[in-house]
Amino acid sequence: MEATAALLEGRNLRKTYRMSRRNQVEALRGVELKIERGEMVALMGPSGSGKSTLMHILGLLHSPDADDGPPAELRINGVEVTSMSERTRTRMRADTMGFVFQSYNLVPTLTAAENVALAGEYAGSARRQAMSAAMEALGWVGLEARAEHRPMELSGGEQQRVAIARALVNKPKLLLADEPTGNLDSGHSHEVLELLRRFNKERGETLLLVTHDAEVGAFCDRIIHMRDGLIQEEAVSS
Amino acid sequence: MRLLRQLSRRKLRTTLTILGITIGIWALVVFSSMANKINSLVAGGSEYFAGKILVTDATNFAVGAGIAPMTIEAANQIRDLDDVAAVDAQIQMLYDPEASQGFGAPDFLLGNIAGSDAGLETFVLTPVQGRLLTPEDEGSNVVVFGSDLARKKNVAIDDMVEIRGESFTVVGILEPTLTAPDTTANIPLQAAQHLMAASLPRSIQDAISPEELISQVVVYPKPGVNDAELAGQIERDVDNVQTLTGAEFDEQVGSFTGVFNAIIIGVAVISLVVGGLSVINTMAMSVAERTREIGIKRAIGGSRSRIVRELVTEAALIGFIGGVIGLVLGAIVVVLANEAGRSSGTILFDLTPATAIFAVAFSTILGMVAGVIPAWSAARLDPVAALRYE
Repeated sequence: MEATAALLEGRNLRKTYRMSRRNQVEALRGVELKIERGEMVALMGPSGSGKSTLMHILGLLHSPDADDGPPAELRINGVEVTSMSERTRTRMRADTMGFVFQSYNLVPTLTAAENVALAGEYAGSARRQAMSAAMEALGWVGLEARAEHRPMELSGGEQQRVAIARALVNKPKLLLADEPTGNLDSGHSHEVLELLRRFNKERGETLLLVTHDAEVGAFCDRIIHMRDGLIQEEAVSS
Repeated sequence: MRLLRQLSRRKLRTTLTILGITIGIWALVVFSSMANKINSLVAGGSEYFAGKILVTDATNFAVGAGIAPMTIEAANQIRDLDDVAAVDAQIQMLYDPEASQGFGAPDFLLGNIAGSDAGLETFVLTPVQGRLLTPEDEGSNVVVFGSDLARKKNVAIDDMVEIRGESFTVVGILEPTLTAPDTTANIPLQAAQHLMAASLPRSIQDAISPEELISQVVVYPKPGVNDAELAGQIERDVDNVQTLTGAEFDEQVGSFTGVFNAIIIGVAVISLVVGGLSVINTMAMSVAERTREIGIKRAIGGSRSRIVRELVTEAALIGFIGGVIGLVLGAIVVVLANEAGRSSGTILFDLTPATAIFAVAFSTILGMVAGVIPAWSAARLDPVAALRYE
């Protein structure tokens, strides 16, 4: 594993969705990008620009197309992932990555602590160990007191903080957030962004945020603008 | 524990699924207990008839019991045959000729001279109170009750009971055998001969003295003698008799119980298939309504096999809980029905540990099997599509 190389490096990333025999959507048309360790990067662009598709590929939820064009390459933490089996990608997702979604995506029947612990268990921790790590992670986001509450008993901001604790509990190399403030009011949005920024600064977490929101972009070190399935421009955030 | 808590958070769906399994297992437990009882009666009969031959009058129609009168001359003729080790001339008749007949073995009176088997009887009866009959009891009106019949007639040692209009002293009560002797009262042969004579039409009573009456002969072959061959010889040499060997008893009664078991097990299987389909349906619906949850789990690193394991474990737990509740409710029905039937001597059910274990194991496995297909298809969902599911 090359610890000094970029955390994430992608080349020729293409993705075409075949909706029907005649209707194909070219979501990514040969994306190249590099994210260094410890960066906080915003991925911005209008709807349909391919930013979510790119995040799903970088998050190993989907694979890039392996068609006739130049071969897709994707190295995460020094490991080439495009030829990995589904099982290995799942394992890598559990060990190396954390996800934060727009609509929180907590399991409704589990408590806050159980939701966070689930990620630990999937990464191979014993249940007791996962629970104690979950309590610690809830402490990072200031929600120890709400550990036994179920998602429906928490506010939107609190649910998103639980989701952040879940994303961080395995101390991932890369945290991927898809519109993490999309469902929050401005007060809670700011709170969540501050939290993400703190983890980036204090713990050196690498973050990639997909967003529409220019304010969120302004929180990041760098903004990647996408349009029509390609990276249009990259800019250092002001 | 977490799984139980999760199930309790989906109360309605979990309750309905468990209810479906409970009903199926309840039916399985009750019907199997009924089959167990019948089978134990038959197994007891099979054990009783093994290695001996029952000789009855040619007109006798009951399987395994001679109740049509015949003469003791037949017993004497059989005794003279070379291959016969011992002959037990008996009278068997209904304990109460007026009683309506219910389910299971009827109540019988059995009269014989104690010890006629010459020690060859292998189906040993043991008194739980008092004693067995002895040859010295001939000429007196004493009775030894089978366990169920004693309970039904509410008799105790030294009680005087009236049987077919005559008074008898209770000298013994037998341990349960789970088969015919439990519903039989044993009396000396002479007493039985008088009771049988009194029940015959006047014209026959005038023609035959009670001492010549019997209704069946239990024949003990000498060691190494083929039962079937000896039975054939008896039918040839003695007029107007028919024989029943152990193998013939098994064949005749076995075919009846085979049909009975098939009906009972068929009903239970149908109820389980219906229950099983409802579990599959509920699990499939449960998985569908949790598509998004499954997407979340896959996205945060839950492997396909892990998702399958979680869902199948949940389905197995639902099956197990339904099985245990069905077993408990079935056991309650069995106990209550047996208690209600005890006063009339009609014990319908026998819930064995094997039936109980089978019922719970079956429902657990049923739950697992019902959960596998929806779980597998859920685990194969594209996590991104599942996350978008509303």
